[in-house]
Amino acid sequence: MNLRKSFLIVLVLALCLLLSVGTALAQPVTITFWHAMSGSRLGVLESIIEGFNATHPEFEVKPLFTGSYAETLTKYVAAYPSKTGPNIVQSYEVGTQTMIDSNAITPVYEIPGMLGETWDWAQYVIPITNYYSVDGNLWSMPFNSSTAMLYYNKDLFEAAGLDPNKPPTTWKEMEEYGEKFLASGVVDHVYSTGWPDWIFEQVLAIHDHLYADNDNGRSGLATKVVFNDDFGQMVFETWTRLHDKGIYIFGGAEYSANTAFNSGQIAMLIQSTSSLAGIIKASEFKVGTSFYPRFEGYPVGNSIIGGGSLWVTKGQSEEELRAVWEFLKYLGQKDIAIQWHKGTGYFPVSGAALKTLLDEGWFSEDQAYLTAFLQILSGKRDTAASTGVRLGPFVAMREDLVSGLEKALAGQLSPKDALNEAAEKMNLKLKDYLELHGK
Amino acid sequence: MNEDKFPGHKFLPYILITPSIAVIIIFLIGPFIQSVYTSFFVSTTFGTNTIFVGLRNYIRLFSSPDYLNSAVVTFKFAAFVIIVGLSIALAIAQLLNQKIRGVGFYQVALIWTYAISPTIAGVIWASMFAPSTGLIPYIISKISGGYTLNWMTNGQLALFIVAAAATWKMLGYNIIFFLAGLQNVPDEFLEAAQIDGANPWKSFWRITFPLLSPTTSFLLFVNMLYAFFQVFGLIDIMTHGGPGNATEILVYKLYRDGFIHLNTGSASAQSFIIFFVISVVAIIQLRIVTRKAIYSR
Repeated sequence: MNLRKSFLIVLVLALCLLLSVGTALAQPVTITFWHAMSGSRLGVLESIIEGFNATHPEFEVKPLFTGSYAETLTKYVAAYPSKTGPNIVQSYEVGTQTMIDSNAITPVYEIPGMLGETWDWAQYVIPITNYYSVDGNLWSMPFNSSTAMLYYNKDLFEAAGLDPNKPPTTWKEMEEYGEKFLASGVVDHVYSTGWPDWIFEQVLAIHDHLYADNDNGRSGLATKVVFNDDFGQMVFETWTRLHDKGIYIFGGAEYSANTAFNSGQIAMLIQSTSSLAGIIKASEFKVGTSFYPRFEGYPVGNSIIGGGSLWVTKGQSEEELRAVWEFLKYLGQKDIAIQWHKGTGYFPVSGAALKTLLDEGWFSEDQAYLTAFLQILSGKRDTAASTGVRLGPFVAMREDLVSGLEKALAGQLSPKDALNEAAEKMNLKLKDYLELHGK
Repeated sequence: MNEDKFPGHKFLPYILITPSIAVIIIFLIGPFIQSVYTSFFVSTTFGTNTIFVGLRNYIRLFSSPDYLNSAVVTFKFAAFVIIVGLSIALAIAQLLNQKIRGVGFYQVALIWTYAISPTIAGVIWASMFAPSTGLIPYIISKISGGYTLNWMTNGQLALFIVAAAATWKMLGYNIIFFLAGLQNVPDEFLEAAQIDGANPWKSFWRITFPLLSPTTSFLLFVNMLYAFFQVFGLIDIMTHGGPGNATEILVYKLYRDGFIHLNTGSASAQSFIIFFVISVVAIIQLRIVTRKAIYSR
């Protein structure tokens, strides 16, 4: 090759090098965020992230919808050994103990210190931060929290001759109203629930009843479940009786019961508060909300948190961690929290957001949104039973409970036997978990 | 011997098959060995702790009512898919094997179910049978005066629906092969039988069915693999293994234990058990059934 040609080649290569270095210098710090927000929540989340990226040009958050909560966690576990996972991952609340024991994450309370900042954790809603805290320190950033409440069809109430402003308060009233509904012929079945396992946990918590020992797994790994006593049996017996009368129709796991409610097939639904926006949109009747029913004459606890939170992967560079922290702070800001709440129905994590929502009259337009707040803020918050359950093999255990409930409803086992059978299976899982994580 | 096909190139044949062997080792044999190894351990989700437990995973499975239930469900499910599926497919293929007007249309209409994905099939059948908004429960409640056909509380019904959906989906495939097999039955045999005074029923069982036996044994094998392994998507869409564990076939239970509960030890043990069972059944089928098949000419 002659000299001129080689000179040209070198020149071109040098230009390429300069360009790549130049673009590298201008690149924002990118962090990846795996989440399980589907449907309308996806749109709201993406617009919040776009807002962050626009106002923070030195950072870029890349969200990725990785399927359901279970699928997201599975992917995260699979990516862990090869360190190809995301910077932030959203996990459902039942995965909390697994994440705490994972050795794969940095607890969020340590992050400000690692970056030389301080942060006031008390600005977030207390019952929510209580759930995700260990020994008073917050391990994951609350993001999409919900609780359960009672939805009801005001139009159907009127059609059955009931007062649309007086939904049932106790399970006894659920039964009475149920019988009136069936007598009126307006519906074939009166109520259903989403997430039956979670609703069972709710009923225990609202009465300050522990689910498992060691303070619901909060002061140490739980060794056995404690709900299969007289109280738990009563709950199962009540639900079975309501089912046999045709008042309660089993809606399946998760959100499946919503279709029946939205289409006016049933008059009431006990479901996550995060379904509110979707239900209002999909239904053609006046939607009423209230606290979910309680058993009269039993102690008062609180309803518990559901949903998910954000976890930060361990071992990131300082600039990535800074980007992560800025993003987490951004999500907790009052305006963003309000945007998230209005678009989905999840609680805003910031305490200040509630005041703003009240001031701007958000709740006067539609009282339905206020119920969720009152449900979670109106009970005890200092007992383990009212704070929520934290168990290692929680996902598998919840299935055992649903299985037991299904057997009781189908008449295969008596409510007492079904509950005890479920408890036995669940205790075995707890034992296995202890074996692996035992201290 | 090699020199015959590859004169002068001693190692060429080995080099040529190396890519295929490599793929099989990396993607099949390697993971299989790893899976068997994993089945002797219990481990935490993130692998922070692993304990050797020998055969405990296997023993737990065999003494677990849930696993035995899963095996029974799978057996019932497979039996339905195979027996009902092949019978109906054969009957339909027999009907399609006529020279009538529009037979092309009928053939396509009956065969295309094979082309849709299991997910779509699952969605179709799930919507049809949805307890509160589905067509079939609606019709049944109108006919019977209020009875709610709710598969969510009726395990047997759920299993039936899922099996029906799986069978429906596989019908197209079975029909094609039966049709081809039927068309290979020489007309002379059937005519000769007719002359000898055999009625259609007899000539079917004595002539057609034996001549179909290669096709039948092949379809038996394929349907068995289908019923065991390829209906995962259908079950996931329709029932998630529920209600209770009424539709939790072995493969689905494996998925739940491995990917949802993150219990890799048990899932690995389950996969090995399935492998072993299928291998035994496959060997039996390929040896005995195929040997008995009658090949004409």
